[in-house]
Amino acid sequence: MNALRGQMGLWKLHLAVIIIGAIAELIGIRKIPLGIGAILLLPLLYAFIMAALMNPNVMPKFGKFIGEKEVKAASPLIVIAIMPFIAKFGTTIGPAIETIIEAGPALLLQELGNLGTIVLAFPLAVWGLKMGREAIGATFSIAREPNLAIIADRYTLKSPEGAGVMGVYVIGTLFGTFIFAILASLFASIDVFDPRALAMACGIGSGSMMAACTGALTEVVPTMKDEILALAGASNLLTYATGLYAGLFIALPIVEKLYNATAGKRDLAAADNKGA
Amino acid sequence: MSDSVVAKETTRPKIDLVDHAIVLIIVCLVGLVMNTVGPAIPLMDGFMGMIVIYLISMAGLILTRFAPFYLPSVAWISLVGIVATLPWTPGSEWIVAQAKSVNFLALATPALAYAGFAIAKKEIEVAKHSGWKLALVACLVFLGTYAGSVLVAEAILKLQGI
Repeated sequence: MNALRGQMGLWKLHLAVIIIGAIAELIGIRKIPLGIGAILLLPLLYAFIMAALMNPNVMPKFGKFIGEKEVKAASPLIVIAIMPFIAKFGTTIGPAIETIIEAGPALLLQELGNLGTIVLAFPLAVWGLKMGREAIGATFSIAREPNLAIIADRYTLKSPEGAGVMGVYVIGTLFGTFIFAILASLFASIDVFDPRALAMACGIGSGSMMAACTGALTEVVPTMKDEILALAGASNLLTYATGLYAGLFIALPIVEKLYNATAGKRDLAAADNKGA
Repeated sequence: MSDSVVAKETTRPKIDLVDHAIVLIIVCLVGLVMNTVGPAIPLMDGFMGMIVIYLISMAGLILTRFAPFYLPSVAWISLVGIVATLPWTPGSEWIVAQAKSVNFLALATPALAYAGFAIAKKEIEVAKHSGWKLALVACLVFLGTYAGSVLVAEAILKLQGI
């Protein structure tokens, strides 16, 4: 019952989350159309921004209601607040199990294509931009909600790895639809790839990313519209089912090993120099 | 030092189930408010859905604590969610129907609000330091993921000759 008393002492934090969250939900999903794509704004993003603006570390002037005690307590609460989300997630996978089995080898194996982020982004982040451990969170995945949960669970979102995944996450939420619309139209217009392959790849991100991606793709290849939508939908389902596990058991361990074998030694050397 | 922290992360943390049970109730109630305000799902439907979600989360936490091998709590919770809703699991239709009354984006809203409140001074320094870098890396993350999936799918389709 100590936990209950502890949480009661944090009534300000929980009240602020309820009010901010309710305002964010009332604003709802907003779309800012921009040429071929649209910037998609989601309630969870407003909630994050509003809470940040009430955070005394971000806005020292507003630091009257939320203090350092609430800031410290909020961190472990993120992990627990993500648990119901993950549970809900699981309940969407079970009913679709037969579709997932039927979807076939191409659908299954293209999930490994997600590792392309490690090939492209990791070298740039670690060697090109000399980033630290935030590179692990930033480049192990496409940084959607399940990947946030993986990092939150393993490192917490307050860690450098968490800052990395949150950075890519926020950019993805703000600009993901736009980026995916551009990617799909570029890949389709060069007329090299099978539209079915482009469609499967559309399912790798969030629902809104898939919408933007298939929207652009069907504009370029209107004769294959039904097939594109079906394959993208199946791939998205599969990403929901496998994304968490591919990130947890394949991508994250690879990125961790790569980092520790290369940049990790650089970090240690730098620490030794400072110590000496 | 950071290496040893990583190594220790793979050992099983001691989860206080009673503490988690209480905090999860609070978090689920906050989520229920979001579910009612945003997606406008009737309160009683959302309440039943949230009870199911709560029980799945707790079952996952119990497995995290007592299962013979260690998996992170999110993996266990997700697995419980999957098994509970498989077509051949008895009562799965009812569970699916209840869970449908809970909107997944509405559950993410409070988590991100807590995240906004949890921002520490150090993080702001990191953000200021690597803002444009992360933006650049993010663009390559999306490009790499999309291109990687296209290439693999293309290769398998060619191999299958379909």
